[in-house]
Amino acid sequence: MSAPAKPLSALMPGDVSDEHAKRALLAEIDASCRVPLLFFFVSALAWLLVGTALALVSSIKLHDPAFLAECPWLTFGRVRPAHLNAVIYGWASQTGIGVTLWLMCRLCRVPFVAPGLATVAALFWNLGLSVGIVGILAGDSTSIEWLELPRYATPILFFSYALIAVWGVITFRLRRERHLYVSQWYLLAALLWFPWLYATAQILLVLEPARGVVQGAVNWWFAHNVLGLWFTPIGLGAIYYFIPKVIGRPIHSYYLSVLGFWSLALFYNWNGLHHLIGGPLPAWMITVSIVASVMMLIPVITVAINHHFTMRGHFGKLKHSPTLRFVVFGAVCYTLTSLQGVANSLRGYSEIVHFTHHTVAHAHLGVYGFFTMVMFGAMYYILPRITGREWPSLGLVSLHFWACAIGLALYVGPLSIGGILQGLAMNDATKPFADVVAGTLPYLKLRTVAGLLLGLGHVAFVANLVWMLCRVFGPYRQPVVDLITGNESPAAVGK
Amino acid sequence: MPVPGLILLAGVLAVPLAALWALRWAASHGELGHGDRAALLPFDEEEPVGTATDQILNRPAKP
Repeated sequence: MSAPAKPLSALMPGDVSDEHAKRALLAEIDASCRVPLLFFFVSALAWLLVGTALALVSSIKLHDPAFLAECPWLTFGRVRPAHLNAVIYGWASQTGIGVTLWLMCRLCRVPFVAPGLATVAALFWNLGLSVGIVGILAGDSTSIEWLELPRYATPILFFSYALIAVWGVITFRLRRERHLYVSQWYLLAALLWFPWLYATAQILLVLEPARGVVQGAVNWWFAHNVLGLWFTPIGLGAIYYFIPKVIGRPIHSYYLSVLGFWSLALFYNWNGLHHLIGGPLPAWMITVSIVASVMMLIPVITVAINHHFTMRGHFGKLKHSPTLRFVVFGAVCYTLTSLQGVANSLRGYSEIVHFTHHTVAHAHLGVYGFFTMVMFGAMYYILPRITGREWPSLGLVSLHFWACAIGLALYVGPLSIGGILQGLAMNDATKPFADVVAGTLPYLKLRTVAGLLLGLGHVAFVANLVWMLCRVFGPYRQPVVDLITGNESPAAVGK
Repeated sequence: MPVPGLILLAGVLAVPLAALWALRWAASHGELGHGDRAALLPFDEEEPVGTATDQILNRPAKP
């Protein structure tokens, strides 16, 4: 990268009234994010591939139990939690952190503060996770869902996260734009909520385990809130930034977006215990959780209305923007999975779908259909800006989108229906359990086919990124710093 | 109530209480007003309102 003639520090203090200085600052922000974000994104994608492979092995084992059954490391009880933790902490959390860092810099109007600190954090995060995943495959899982990483791996992750949280606070304090955009509310909240959730769950379930039903309550409070108070705010924060940014139109109603954030903050935290309907817990705890789950209709409907009306008249742009395709797909999935979640929380419906593949489909609609698709869209927007290079193959972009979209539909649709049929059959006392299990086989085989399609999409995306990073391209756009400093050479940001 | 139960209850209460505190902070710092201005924050001089970005797919072929 060519060094700008005018040092960034000269552009930093006070109000930036000079347009050239503002534009130089934006280019500098993107360039300053390059190393830590590439570290987070590339390692996240590596974990996505690992997680996909583990998912395929798990899925095949569900309809062909003899598959790789001789190897203890690859038995279902190890591969499945390894898949879950690889995608949750390796892929989703890392890509979410990367997108959060970039959005915070952009919206706070400050270049990346201490990129070395964030890079060290990324290094430790991957170290801790590698130790943890190997530990799970070796048989050291804690057996607590969503917290299977062995206790010797979690301090490394926690140290890494502390560095990221410190970074977030510093960036927020240094912000040059005093007013906060709604995305910043979501992102800041996520940065603060996650360590609190993780620490509380670790204390109550791993370090000093609670006894009896409290374990179940804590487990579901944590697992549900990781989705709702960690991934959801990051995903929604990204949607609120990228839809207006790509179509060039402000959000339809800013006040509605703020209402959505505050209602999420007030109601979501109580939701998790609806997974324990029928369990040996005080009835009032379950009832409070159901009421809070229904209250989630407020943020979900406000978000859906706001996104739809923002996009109105601009749906044609879906044809031209990969970011918009993925993000809008994710936004629609957010609405669907949230409405499905409200239905699942009702006692009558839960009696049918509890303990069935319907819950698996619901989780994938949320974590994959909503969060992962939004993150893909964000990466399509961010990576060209921080590397200075175009996406080399638009064919691979389209292949990525359609393989993932069709794969997800094939995963969620049949498995949701199959789950309901499975639940109805399980509630029929005259039906032998073995027949109920056998009845799910067609859906489980379709799930493997869907997983292969998702894997194809992931390989296409990774291939495009590797191609982008390895091949020498012209600049995506001439660095603005070069324009104002008179350096007309084609020294691209990414070279 | 046993200690773990108290910790869990404190944890469950912490989010809405923190949210209420943040809401109060937002109200006192004018964050809940000026919505029209806040909605423009994703935009800048390089990519202002009215300028679509990321339009890279299905572009007409160059002559």
